[in-house]
Amino acid sequence: MIIVVEREVAYRIFAKEFNASKFNMRSDEEGSSKQDVHTPNYLVTPAGAKLNRLFVVGVVTEVDNVGTDKDMWKARVVDPSGAFTVYAGQYQPEAAIFLSTVELPSYIAIVGKVRMYEPDDGSVFVSIRPEEINTVDALVRNRWVVDTAEMTLDRVEVFSKVVAECESSSEVTDHMRSHGMSVSLAEGISLAMEYYHTDEAYLGNIRKVVKDCLQSLENSQYDDGVGAEEDIEDRILGLLVDMNSGKGVDYAELIKAASAREIYEDAVDVAVRSLLAKGHCYEPKIGILKPVQ
Amino acid sequence: MKRNIAPHIDELTKALENIDRSEIENELYKLLEFRVPIDEAKRSIIRKFGSRSASVKKIEDISIGDQGFETTVRIIEVRERVVRVRNRDATIFSGILADGTGLCYFNSWHDFSLNENDVVCIKNISVKNWNGRMEINLGDRSKVIKLSDDILPSINELSRATSKKLIDIDHSDVFVSSLCIVVELYHRNIDTRDGEIMITEGVLADDTGKLPFVAWIPLENIDIGTVVDIKGASVRMFRGVPSIYFNKNTDVSIVGGSDPLPFTLESVSAPPVPIPIENMLHKEGMFDVALRGNIISVRPGSGIVTRCPICNRVIMKGTCRAHGSVEGIQDMRIKMVVDDGTGSIMVMLDRDLSEIVYGKTMLEVKGSQGRSISQDVVYENMKQVLIGKYIGARGNTSSTEFGVSIVASSVWDPEDDLAGRVNTLFERLTETGM
Repeated sequence: MIIVVEREVAYRIFAKEFNASKFNMRSDEEGSSKQDVHTPNYLVTPAGAKLNRLFVVGVVTEVDNVGTDKDMWKARVVDPSGAFTVYAGQYQPEAAIFLSTVELPSYIAIVGKVRMYEPDDGSVFVSIRPEEINTVDALVRNRWVVDTAEMTLDRVEVFSKVVAECESSSEVTDHMRSHGMSVSLAEGISLAMEYYHTDEAYLGNIRKVVKDCLQSLENSQYDDGVGAEEDIEDRILGLLVDMNSGKGVDYAELIKAASAREIYEDAVDVAVRSLLAKGHCYEPKIGILKPVQ
Repeated sequence: MKRNIAPHIDELTKALENIDRSEIENELYKLLEFRVPIDEAKRSIIRKFGSRSASVKKIEDISIGDQGFETTVRIIEVRERVVRVRNRDATIFSGILADGTGLCYFNSWHDFSLNENDVVCIKNISVKNWNGRMEINLGDRSKVIKLSDDILPSINELSRATSKKLIDIDHSDVFVSSLCIVVELYHRNIDTRDGEIMITEGVLADDTGKLPFVAWIPLENIDIGTVVDIKGASVRMFRGVPSIYFNKNTDVSIVGGSDPLPFTLESVSAPPVPIPIENMLHKEGMFDVALRGNIISVRPGSGIVTRCPICNRVIMKGTCRAHGSVEGIQDMRIKMVVDDGTGSIMVMLDRDLSEIVYGKTMLEVKGSQGRSISQDVVYENMKQVLIGKYIGARGNTSSTEFGVSIVASSVWDPEDDLAGRVNTLFERLTETGM
């Protein structure tokens, strides 16, 4: 049979769970034979995910060049639960160029490998080294949050059953195999129980994280119904009033300010046209808007 | 001297049960005359005779790589074929054999005058991997002994297969039975040695999936929408996916509409529901399946390519690997990795689909590309447009040494009832006391 090395799955995971991870599973510590060099390292999260590759969508809020002699870009990518740290240096030229030029804030998608830094004091820092990086729209971000919530909850539910039915981590693998669960998940859960002593209370915390992330979506507008449109109009008008220094507001500036508040060009356009029609604002010069006060 | 080696001969005779003692003795003396050390000589003898004294196996116990064993089987099917190897014609005999514990393909490079329905003991055979399935090989040193007919069940009994859902049929199946519905049907005339015959091709479906079929037997009163109960059809891999073949041993009966079935023509004609990519990775090939996920990588080689007009291979600098310097034809394609969190798969898009996904036609791209700008620009721009996006795709999967890929027959932007999914999640959370 042809043995195909399967590509590592890109896991969806919330920043909070990712950043709480401290356990690096090296598949084999012994030799330096060729196979071991290619055996991937995994980060095991407290809720039992065994990560090598991630797919993350979030808002990039900060980018700094932290390199001393060579460029090394460090970025903060925020999801509803917290922030991922992303590093891109000379060996990720595309990602480095991307981060050095990306507009802040904006939605980005990252496919990357898990990196760990363990200074001697026992602390652990996890980060992402990007393989692919790109800007995306708000809809992709919202879908990612829902996907990640679903997958996290699925995993937590399995974990919760295992916690209820198994006494020790050694039973876990057999138990899960007899229930037809994936080997990778069984391994992740058994390692998490062993290393983090994850219990039902902790899984409850993760459920809370999922809930909070979903609620953050409810507050924003993932369905742009009529109500949402009127809401946007109000916010745009508010922005116009705030930004008006007396000479009116440049349309391009307005779009920029609106996009920072998660309102996109199309929506701004619709709102402005409606405001013009209703007479809440006027256009003294092309490209300049002035609110009626 | 004879006395010295007697214990060794005893030992060898014991190890090689059904080899004659005198044969072992002769062989050992010969080696010792050449001053071969006794341990080395014993090793050589075991190796030489080992394959002849090998074990008897049942088909259910064999696995790829087994060598030098014997098995007693009935020949279910045998065909003679002429193949060309290194510019010489060779006749091979291939088919299927069975022993009641299982069925297996076989291939023989020698004429052992095997006939359908023969019960034979075949010795000194090996098992190889051929097109992803096990095949028993009869070679130079194999032996075939004809046995009496009544020691194994009849062909019908041996080739009776358990009924399976279409999704469960894969490359390891030899014969299958299934209850399904005909969703596509064509007739085609083909030339055979016995003159022109008409075959029927099409697609079968049930509530789990679809598979293509080919009928070498006339199908009477069967049309699109007919529910059929198929018994003893054979399975072969065709273009990377399992295909069901109806032949003269296959029993195809039409099922009347009284019993409730888990599927209808309408339900199976709907587009396939996306399945987790994970489920595609351990199959040799799947027919007409769908997936959805994020584009996590666009592979090099995507974009504008030049193809050889004769063989359609992608060529570089106007030179084809097989046909030398040619006037290439421009084409556009996308090879991308799609990941849904359960697994990742390579998705291949042809020009039409690439244009839809990329949002620019090939002509537009060529227009903007100009003569001086390299094709890398198109590739880089494709990455910018595609990476991170959601995509749905439908097509056939196939497994190669580079992993599993799907050649898309259609792609789309998956619509999502996000509000509905969020509500379901809230309900699940509430159940756990959140």
